[in-house]
Amino acid sequence: MTEKKSLIKGNGGQILFASIISILIGLFAGIVVLVVVGMTNNSISGSSIWDGVRLVLIGVFNTGRDAAGSLTFGFNPTFFGNMLFRAMPLILTGLSVAVAYKTGLFNIGAPGQYLAGICATLFIALSIPTSSVPAWIVWIAAFFGGMIAGALWGCIPGLLKSLLNINEVIACIMTNWLAACLVTWAFDSSKLKNVIDGTKTGYIYKTSTIINDVIVDGTQTVVGANIPEGATVLATRGGVATPKLGLDSIFSGSQVNGGILIAILLAVIFYIIMEKTTLGYQLKACGSNRFAAQYAGIPDKRNIVLSMALAGALAGAAGSLYGLSGNTEFFWTTYQSLPSVGFTGIAVALLAVNNPIGVIFSALFMSLLTINGQQLTSLTAYNEYITDVIIAVIVYLSAFSLIIRTWLGKRRKKRVEKSGPAKGVQA
Amino acid sequence: MGERVPESSEYVIEMNHITKIFPGIIANDDITLQLRRGEIHALLGENGAGKSTLMSVLFGLYQPEEGEIRKNGQVVKITSPNDATALHIGMVHQHFKLIDVYTVLDNIILGAEDTKGIFLTRKAARKKIQDLSEKYGLKVDLDAKIEDITVGMQQRVEILKMLYRENEILIFDEPTAVLTPQEIDDLMKIMKGLAAEGKSILFISHKLNEIMEVSDRITVLRKGKYIGTVNTADTNKQELSNMMVGRPVQLVVQKEEARPGETVLEVSHFCVPSKLHNRNAVNDVSFKVHEGEIVCIAGIDGNGQTDFIYGLTGLEKPNSGSVTLCGKDITQNSVKRKSENMSHIPEDRHKHGLILDFTLEQNMVLQRFLEPEFQKWQFIRFGEVRKYAENLIEQFDVRSGQGPVTQVRSMSGGNQQKAIIARELDREKKLIIAVQPTRGLDVGAIEYIHSQLVSQRDKGKAVLLVSLELEEVMSLSDRILVFYEGEIVGELNPKETTVQELGLYMTGAKRQDRKGGEPA
Repeated sequence: MTEKKSLIKGNGGQILFASIISILIGLFAGIVVLVVVGMTNNSISGSSIWDGVRLVLIGVFNTGRDAAGSLTFGFNPTFFGNMLFRAMPLILTGLSVAVAYKTGLFNIGAPGQYLAGICATLFIALSIPTSSVPAWIVWIAAFFGGMIAGALWGCIPGLLKSLLNINEVIACIMTNWLAACLVTWAFDSSKLKNVIDGTKTGYIYKTSTIINDVIVDGTQTVVGANIPEGATVLATRGGVATPKLGLDSIFSGSQVNGGILIAILLAVIFYIIMEKTTLGYQLKACGSNRFAAQYAGIPDKRNIVLSMALAGALAGAAGSLYGLSGNTEFFWTTYQSLPSVGFTGIAVALLAVNNPIGVIFSALFMSLLTINGQQLTSLTAYNEYITDVIIAVIVYLSAFSLIIRTWLGKRRKKRVEKSGPAKGVQA
Repeated sequence: MGERVPESSEYVIEMNHITKIFPGIIANDDITLQLRRGEIHALLGENGAGKSTLMSVLFGLYQPEEGEIRKNGQVVKITSPNDATALHIGMVHQHFKLIDVYTVLDNIILGAEDTKGIFLTRKAARKKIQDLSEKYGLKVDLDAKIEDITVGMQQRVEILKMLYRENEILIFDEPTAVLTPQEIDDLMKIMKGLAAEGKSILFISHKLNEIMEVSDRITVLRKGKYIGTVNTADTNKQELSNMMVGRPVQLVVQKEEARPGETVLEVSHFCVPSKLHNRNAVNDVSFKVHEGEIVCIAGIDGNGQTDFIYGLTGLEKPNSGSVTLCGKDITQNSVKRKSENMSHIPEDRHKHGLILDFTLEQNMVLQRFLEPEFQKWQFIRFGEVRKYAENLIEQFDVRSGQGPVTQVRSMSGGNQQKAIIARELDREKKLIIAVQPTRGLDVGAIEYIHSQLVSQRDKGKAVLLVSLELEEVMSLSDRILVFYEGEIVGELNPKETTVQELGLYMTGAKRQDRKGGEPA
């Protein structure tokens, strides 16, 4: 109740306003970059610059080019659907960072927890034979398996912090790379490498792929949905994917599936946990003042581990849902780089000022930028990396929302101060 | 330079009709303060009376809306601390502005260094500081680092900083708040010495004893308004506190004879390990507290009182010994289990007592949020919490900007403490532990807290008080236990002892033989 009140009357509006201002400044800076690059590059004409600016702002509404070669705009279900699809893991990693932050912890370990989640999910989804277990049960096992794996991975920095007082940031960075190496190793020695669609190497099966373990001519092998003549099928695996729930007909041609609804649901659930329950109260108490929590008999050590576990579960769920989409392939030699969706979660949480509901919108905004960036690359002569630069500028400036908030606060104070003396004289 | 100016005025500094307005509050409303050459002038007022604002105006940190400042009769404009320094006005802030890893010498000369080319020359400075230090009895070790010296010595460094810059108007902002009784005595002597040498001193405080002892004249502020200026010789503590609070204040605690009943708390052979050294911070402590009495643990800060309370309340693990509360052995219980029968008003209200970023109502249920009254199916019953907080706020007169939804950080220290007291006393536990409950509070709030503790005692509660203030110990307690180096060195009856005798026990000069630590 208090939260709601303050959101309407007090700082809430100011926080929202600050975030929006920083987004606008970020977009403006991005456009400046775009224009400067366009002017200094001979291959980009004036009209291309104008196209680029429009695409950066509203690329998601782009419907291609008309016969005369100018851009056309309108509702584009594919782009909208893809925006939702990309927002799905971002909501969850953003939520992971935000929940940890509310309890006084900086969870920079989301990439590692994400990897732990996707790894467990893929192993479960691709190992349990769907010929004997219904696919929906495999889906549930894989989803929760991913969450649990993320939670356990998040527990490690949590335990180190609560028992040995090791800074969670350092522990998180180390567990990130540990996860990257372990996941690579686990897949490397697994039988989940995609050998059916022989075109690409280094990828794991899609969870939706039908994999048949068969015996052909006395030797055991793995084939896809087409079973060769005379082969004996031992078991069928795969064929697991998050249901589309009709979203594919609304957003035709896109990758979106029911996972976005799960992500939004989790955001709402965590909003309720943090703001309405005794658990949220305890976690926030420990985060705000560990000593006061100790004094009041709140188990601070348990709560630190718990909040890291919850954060890990959320980042794990991001990996899970991404893996279970059925249309994504996981590149398993990940030991040289960490999934960027984990780090972008930090920016998402920052932009949302760690509000679980705000995370939904800031994640949507981030994925919108990515979609717009893709249009820029495919429809203009701009180099594909320029979109990354623009996104980076906007993300960077979104971190300025705190500064803008302070500035807004000062301005308000000044206004009051200016009107103050007049009142004083009258009195 | 200053001493060459002809004495054109009786006053070295005059602040005439100063008005300073902040949004929503008039911090200084037409205040006049006149400082004579060579006097110690006390500025007295409750927290929030506008003392610090007035001094910040003098030091150039704030610009007043109205009024003028004169030095030696000449109107001066002070727009920054640099202007103040140029006018030889120096200030010792309540929180020292020293660099921990620099030596005392370097801290003193910082910003006023002698140089030869690009090199620092310390020789002349060292000589000058040594002379000053001898002249005014300011003992410091010039080559020690700030982080290694005591708070008292740090304060002497601050004073030397002012003297090194040849300041003649010295402002002391609540200088005794951080000092031990011994250090306070030393400071008083130093201040008198400085005044005798012709320095003019402005002394900000709300401690009446010190003001009566050291000052020549006193200006009293209340709620931003000028109340009056009096000669110390012509006034007394009662009159001053009435001026300060605006109503007659009960300086002496009113209480009936104690009627001790059953034993509530029994501590025997209790030891708590120290974090600093290998010895026990609390060693073989035994005593009892009964229903209906206030037992006070007295002692100089750092003699094991804090560790003892941590051990007793469960914030730290005791080494050996036992604690029996209401007939149950609770020695090894968790904080939560222990708090079932005890309330604890902690020593550090910001560290332990409150979550400053939470609202007032959230802080009110800090220990109780899991009780069925405040939650159902683990969902907080916000309506009940609000009702409960509003009730406590009204009952204990906790003042804040927005009532239950005020962020505690924005509340004044006195009201923060009142909030803790409201929460702890309302829990209605048999034992009340109050650690320095009046620290940093003004007379009005102190009076209130004392009367609350006495009424709890009269309701049959056992009260264990830890205090560093001798006056509080003497007036509030029914029995005194003196801690010295982690042991109880004496058990005294406040009616039969004197402050002097208590002081001897506290400094370890005197000691009772308490056979095997058995309670008397």
